[in-house]
Amino acid sequence: MSSTELIRTFLVDRLGVQPEQVMPEALLAELGVDSLMLAELMFEAEDRLGIDIPSDVQPPRTVAEMQAVIDSLAALKTG
Amino acid sequence: MRTHRVAITGIGVISPYGGDARDFFDRLLAGESAVRHLLVTEDLPRPLSHPFVSCHGFDPEAALGKPLALMMERFAQLGMAAAFQAWDQAGLPRKVDEADGDEREGWGCIWGTALGGLEAHERGGREMWLKGRERVSPLSVVQGMNNAVNAHISIQLGLGGLSTSHTAACASASIAIGEAFRRVRSGEATVMVTGGSDICQSYSVLRAWEAMRVMAPGNAETASAACRPFAADRAGLVLGEGGAALVLEDWDHAIARGATIHGEIVGYGTSCDHSHLVRPHRQGQVRALRAALADAGLAPQDVGYVNAHGTATPEGDPVEVAALCEVFGDGAAGLPVSATKSMHGHLLGAAGAIEAVVTVLALREQAVPPTAHLAGRIDPACEGVDHVLEGRRQVPLRAALSNSFAFGGSNAVLAFRAPPR
Repeated sequence: MSSTELIRTFLVDRLGVQPEQVMPEALLAELGVDSLMLAELMFEAEDRLGIDIPSDVQPPRTVAEMQAVIDSLAALKTG
Repeated sequence: MRTHRVAITGIGVISPYGGDARDFFDRLLAGESAVRHLLVTEDLPRPLSHPFVSCHGFDPEAALGKPLALMMERFAQLGMAAAFQAWDQAGLPRKVDEADGDEREGWGCIWGTALGGLEAHERGGREMWLKGRERVSPLSVVQGMNNAVNAHISIQLGLGGLSTSHTAACASASIAIGEAFRRVRSGEATVMVTGGSDICQSYSVLRAWEAMRVMAPGNAETASAACRPFAADRAGLVLGEGGAALVLEDWDHAIARGATIHGEIVGYGTSCDHSHLVRPHRQGQVRALRAALADAGLAPQDVGYVNAHGTATPEGDPVEVAALCEVFGDGAAGLPVSATKSMHGHLLGAAGAIEAVVTVLALREQAVPPTAHLAGRIDPACEGVDHVLEGRRQVPLRAALSNSFAFGGSNAVLAFRAPPR
């Protein structure tokens, strides 16, 4: 599963976001992602993709920033 | 202080039979058991095999929408769905505009659950100790907290008053309903949502109950008749999952907005046995029964039906009958009593709620459900009341009681009146 699919599925299933709203520049907060749901999204990414998101990571503000966090950690994992 | 009459304007139940509240009551009247054999063998240290009552037909995502359902554990899903049913039946909009929201600032929710989010904690424990995970879902706390149900109900319905839960084993929901009743009767709240929900099928929960040796045995062939309250061959209780809710409303407020009144809650009596953690005590139950009657302004002869606690344990059933005989005296022999746990199981924290629903529906429908599997096998130690062996229709009921006598000695009795004809 790609980071894009994971984020879109999470936003649609958990927050009722319309798929077309999930654009790279969209602000996560405006899509209903509060601090608790951001932590849950990170947990979902860890669970599904086998990555470990450090606790001191800068909280991503946009969909694109969240994708970048996931993709960089996934790349480290695959070496 | 002026007291207010308290109308029941909404009833919700997540039925083990899969249908609505009316279907639920009709099946009970017919003596139909919802008890089945629960057999779980996968991914467990040792298989689970028990008579059990499940809400197989309950689809949380269909009832709540996917986002809301995924925010909750099952015990909260059952409760939220029952509350929505009751609220919608009461004819109240789910949310109101900010401008009109002031009225709801004093409306509240008091909910009952005995086990709460144990399943979430068990799952988290499995992840951490068996799979070596260092972290669990960030939602674990808010999904597992006992007050999750009342929190979600208050959020979804815009209720700004007291939002809390009560935990007192099998009396949790009866106490929640009683406490909600008091707040409407006193005028503190115009509307209260109340009820209870629980799930009991967690591995650790069922193993813990097994260890007490109070659960009825059964297999695929015998499970449906495993729960036999008051019977000479009763063999223990049958657990189940479920949720039930009532909307309690100030009588004048209900009349003014043209609401349908399904019944009236008129009394609430409590006591503690202060005797033993699990062994029931007749005098404690007598005090709760008398307190409920006094609170309701009812004489024993006014009561036409008692929905018994009746868990089918060897020790508990005779104590309850003895308490009823003491309170109702010469009238006990003609007092219809039934233990509907024989059909819908013991829902622990939800028991008081589902049995309150049964009692309210009995009064509304003027019909009394039976104790299933009792005909021809009444224990002599449980004689003394009019055991209802088959469902009765066209019964002229004016008032009824619902009993909950819990581990820890917490006793709660609710008194209801039939709705106006």
